[in-house]
Order: sequence, then structure tokens, then C-alpha cells
Amino acid sequence: MSTLTLLAPHGDEFGAPTPQELFDLSPVAGIEWFTKPVLLAVISAILVIAITWGAFGNPKVVPRGLQNVVEYGYFFVRDQVARPFLGKDADRFMGLLLSIFLLVLVWNVMGVIPVAQFPVASHIAFPAVLALSIYGIKIYLGVKHQGGLGYFKNMMFPPGLPKPIYVLLAPIEFLSNMIIAPFTHAVRLFANMFAGHMLLAFFSMVGFWFLFEKLTPLGAPVGVIGVIMTIVFTGFEIFIEFLQAFLFAMLASMYIGGSLHAEH
Amino acid sequence: MSAQERRSEDGRDFADAMWSVPGYLLGGMAVYGGIGWLLDRWLGMSAFLPMGAILGSVLAGYLAYRKFSR
Repeated sequence: MSTLTLLAPHGDEFGAPTPQELFDLSPVAGIEWFTKPVLLAVISAILVIAITWGAFGNPKVVPRGLQNVVEYGYFFVRDQVARPFLGKDADRFMGLLLSIFLLVLVWNVMGVIPVAQFPVASHIAFPAVLALSIYGIKIYLGVKHQGGLGYFKNMMFPPGLPKPIYVLLAPIEFLSNMIIAPFTHAVRLFANMFAGHMLLAFFSMVGFWFLFEKLTPLGAPVGVIGVIMTIVFTGFEIFIEFLQAFLFAMLASMYIGGSLHAEH
Repeated sequence: MSAQERRSEDGRDFADAMWSVPGYLLGGMAVYGGIGWLLDRWLGMSAFLPMGAILGSVLAGYLAYRKFSR
């Protein structure tokens, strides 16, 4: 609660929280680059390692407890993310895809965990690094499986088009595969988390301001609406967080699948 | 090919199309709008940017149609 009072504007009027206040956070332990999102990202990574280690470190034929729970996550990623795009190669990439899915999921869920309350991916650096890694893997696998020239030929000249039109369409293919795809991969996750965090901060601010800071007979109902909207949007946000983690892993799997097999 | 494989193949094509088409449209507008913008700068005009953007989105739509309408 004290952080919210700090955020509250000086004066008697309500002001919505600005991106500056919400995302430009001060360093944690006096180290300039070590801010809250960095701390949460490290905690998330450790958490994912601990959970998967605990689940699969000593696997049983009949799963119980933690293994049982995480296996549901594994099956979800395998059946919904990996197999539709990778087919028989799915098992080779499960380690990568499961790690990405779980890490992004925990990063996102940090946005609604009390005290943490910050979606790591709402700083674009974090999704950008993941998207760039996938981009590197995509190009490496494409060149390895289709040959250096073949990869770009298959990408820019899809079969089944009249010859002269290739001159016009090849630049579009190149731009959308090589530049727009990795860009939107990162921005989709970033923008969703950024907007979600802004919404939650705004509605909880409304509730806090009108019910605790400046309680007036006219303002109280507005505050109550703010609290209700905060609760509703927290539920909605949990859904979005899961969906975006799924989509991020799914697009990664789609790009890898596109590099392994030329379009037919 | 078994029924399950065919179903997963269909799902793959569908998802490919769903996620590629916006990229193509954006790419088409960027490439041809960009060429138009350069022409505008060179010739001191302002007509080529919108023309290029429209041409680009038409071409991108055609590309998406030919690629995914099977």
C-alpha cells in the first residue's frame, strides 16, 4: 500500500498512473542494472529449474505429486505446441519449447502474484532476447536443413506462382520472414503484458484513491467500481498471461518447423 | 498418411496462414510504401507513398491468396 501512496500524484485530483511511474523502476540493491524486473526474471528462471528438476529429476513410471502436475504441462506443450508444427521431430525440440513456455508463463504470472506484481515481459528487452534466440535457431536450422541458398530460395520463391510475379513478391516474403516475424514475436508478448499491467494499475489506483485517500460520498461508488474492475481484470489477465505464453511457444515451434521443412 | 496426421497437417496449414497473413500485409505495405516514399523524396512529390502502400497490400493479398488457398 505504501508504494501506491508514493505513486499518488501530489494534490487533490486523481491522476492515472503513468508508464514512467510504473515501468521505470529504481535499482534494487544499489546496482544500476539490477532492477525489479531483472530480479523477478532471475527468480523465475530458478523457479522453473527447481520445478522441472523436482518433477523430472527422479521420474517414476506411475507419476505422483509434482511430477504428475508438471507432466500435464509437458503433454500440453507436446500436443498443442510441438506436434502440430514439428510432427516426428517434436521430441527433439521439447526441451527448448517446454523451457520457453514455462519461463514465459512464470514471467507473465509474476504480474498478478502479490508483492512481485510485475510482468517481466513488459520490459521489451526480455521478450526481445528470447525472440532473437529463436530467430538465430530458425536461421541456423534453415541453412542446415535446406542449404544456405536453398533456405532463402525456398523462403522467397514459394512454388506455384507465375514467374514474372516473383520479382514483386520476393521482397515481401523476405521482409515478412526475416524482419517482421521476429519483431512481432517479441512485441506481441511485450505489448500484451505492458497493457495488462497498465490496466490493473489504473483500476487498483482508482479503488485505492477513492476509497482510502479521498473518501467522499460521491467518490465511494467509483472506488467500489475500481475494486470490482481490478478483481475482474486480474482474472482476465491470468487468462491473457497463459495465452501469451502459449502463443510465444507456438510461434517459436512454427518458425522452427518452417526451417526444418521447406514449404510444399 | 493416417487421419490423425492429415488433421495435424491441416491444423498446421491453418495456423501458418493465420500468423503469416498479417506479416505479409505489413511487409507488402512496408516494401512498396517504402519504395514510394523514396521516389517521393527523390522527385519532390507526395503521391507515390500511398500508391505504393496500396500496391503493396494488393500484392501481399495476392501472395497470401495463392499460398494458402489450396
